[in-house]
Amino acid sequence: MASGLNVSDLHVTADSVEILKGIELTVEPGRVYALMGPNGSGKSTLAFALAGHPGYKITRGSATIDGEDLLALSPDKRAKLGLFLSFQYPAAIPGVSVANFLRSARTAVRGSDLKPAEFRALVFEQLDHLGIDTSFLGRYVNDGFSGGEKKRLEMLQLAVLAPKYAILDETDSGLDVDALRAVGESLTTLRGGAGKDTGFLIITHYPRILQFVEPDVVHVMMDGRIVKTGDADLAHRIEAEGYDNIRDEVTSTSLGTSASGTA
Amino acid sequence: MAQLSVVPQRAGRDEALALARTLPPPGPVPGRYWKIDLAKLGLEELPAGSVSARFELSEAARHKGVVVCDLLAAAPEHASVISGAQGSAVDWRGGRFTALNAAHRAGGLFIFLPKGVVIDEPIVVTQRLEGPAAFPYVLVAASEGAHATIVTRYDPAANLELVSEIVEIVALERASISYTAVQDLPSNVRVFWSRHGNVGRDAALNWALAELGGEVSVGDVKSTTLDIGARTSIAGLFFPSKRQHVDVQSEADHPSAQTQSETIFKSAAIDGGQARFIGNIRIHPSAHGVDATLRDDALLLSKDAHIDSIPALEIGANDVKAYHGATIRAIDDEELFYAMSRGIDRHEAERMIALGFFEPALVRFPTESLREELRAALARKIA
Repeated sequence: MASGLNVSDLHVTADSVEILKGIELTVEPGRVYALMGPNGSGKSTLAFALAGHPGYKITRGSATIDGEDLLALSPDKRAKLGLFLSFQYPAAIPGVSVANFLRSARTAVRGSDLKPAEFRALVFEQLDHLGIDTSFLGRYVNDGFSGGEKKRLEMLQLAVLAPKYAILDETDSGLDVDALRAVGESLTTLRGGAGKDTGFLIITHYPRILQFVEPDVVHVMMDGRIVKTGDADLAHRIEAEGYDNIRDEVTSTSLGTSASGTA
Repeated sequence: MAQLSVVPQRAGRDEALALARTLPPPGPVPGRYWKIDLAKLGLEELPAGSVSARFELSEAARHKGVVVCDLLAAAPEHASVISGAQGSAVDWRGGRFTALNAAHRAGGLFIFLPKGVVIDEPIVVTQRLEGPAAFPYVLVAASEGAHATIVTRYDPAANLELVSEIVEIVALERASISYTAVQDLPSNVRVFWSRHGNVGRDAALNWALAELGGEVSVGDVKSTTLDIGARTSIAGLFFPSKRQHVDVQSEADHPSAQTQSETIFKSAAIDGGQARFIGNIRIHPSAHGVDATLRDDALLLSKDAHIDSIPALEIGANDVKAYHGATIRAIDDEELFYAMSRGIDRHEAERMIALGFFEPALVRFPTESLREELRAALARKIA
């Protein structure tokens, strides 16, 4: 079976509006892919559609994980196949403690593979990496969390679940410098250990997070399509120039003359 | 000695029974969602069984003079306490089933806390209810500065069909009483209850009520803050499932200035479960400086479940703080998706979210073992 997260000709609508217009994408184990693009280009839609959010309808195309059809599965079964989504705006679950949630998620994805003491050790180690106090475990999931705390909890779950494929949706947005460093260092640590075979799709508006995780491949998405692909230099170029130059290049070549170049 | 006025006299019992046969039954009018017509069940005619109590009371508590015993047995020694407290919180003429309780009850349970006595371990009382109809009565008299936590449970006999309970609590100056009632009776039993307390100067009364069992549970809880500094919390949870009907009224009654109340109810309904909650904060015209909140959230877990939620404020004074908030909703799709995206299947995710919903009320129950027991009982309803 083909290993990797493979997306082919994916068309997705939300509220009857076509957002993704034929996405081609591969995420191989152990490699890092950046998906960049201006606001509204469809990056988060791709993340939600792959994770199985009921608000997004797949109208055409396929997505497989290590050869298994993803699109026919409920979100929990996708997670069990090894997919993880770090949410841009994670939901709060009042009354459910972080500790219980982590334990339930780990057990759901991995079975009871760790003894309680081993699980505790794993969680405490990750708390330390992320600079989080242990009292965090007793709080309710994302309930009253600051933006930075929410993103740290996403990273904590990522580390505890150590998935095969991780989609990080704007994990760097809304973070102050310290929180960004904590998240970045957590990713670095993860990639050096339990997540060394994890394939990452890092969705970002700015390349800030990429200073911590050098991408192997950079895709640029505009208007529901991947319009340009390159290496880390492409991210650096976007950082220096913004998206306008790329938009102009793309408009005059692959998108043809019918698209408006004035946006 | 033998005939103290601890229960209504013969004539009183006849009057009570006559009232029970004529007063309208409590609960919503039968209709679209409330499907049980209590007036037609003839519950007033069920023969009365007996009620007895067993309890855990530490030697230390006994030594300090704490009394837990049958009301009739306590009557000679505690006559003035009993006559002062009994009937001061619940007017048995107020409703069909309180009148029925007055007509049929024999004695009751008396809990007395002497001045300044502080008991750390909860006093756990289990009332054995023999049917067909059982009429428990609990009177708690807390003297000045006494502190205790009381947990009451039921132990139903197989022939039990009807329970009509009255609980009266008197907390004198600086006393602090936590009273927890867990009702998890079998699904054929009809349960009616009135649990009221009077809170004195700088005293506290904290209710934690769980209505989980029975076919019908109709009841009202009320705290009256009688003097400056009195405070009360009323926490409750109920979860009708499988065509159970629950009707709960709560009232924080503030006749006195500078008193506080906090009411929090969490209710869910599933599988044809029906519920109504009426929560009231009443602030009398002279009760300046009252601080009262009422929070009531309802969660519908299936399409055939129904909850009416009716919060109310009656505010007679103007310099008070009063807040109420109520929500009714189903499980949030984004919460569900978030949990499922972590590998947790839909059923387990719904269960987790629903249990979490109850947690702000659950934390008001006094011990972790009781909280764990309640979590398990709630979880079974979603299974």
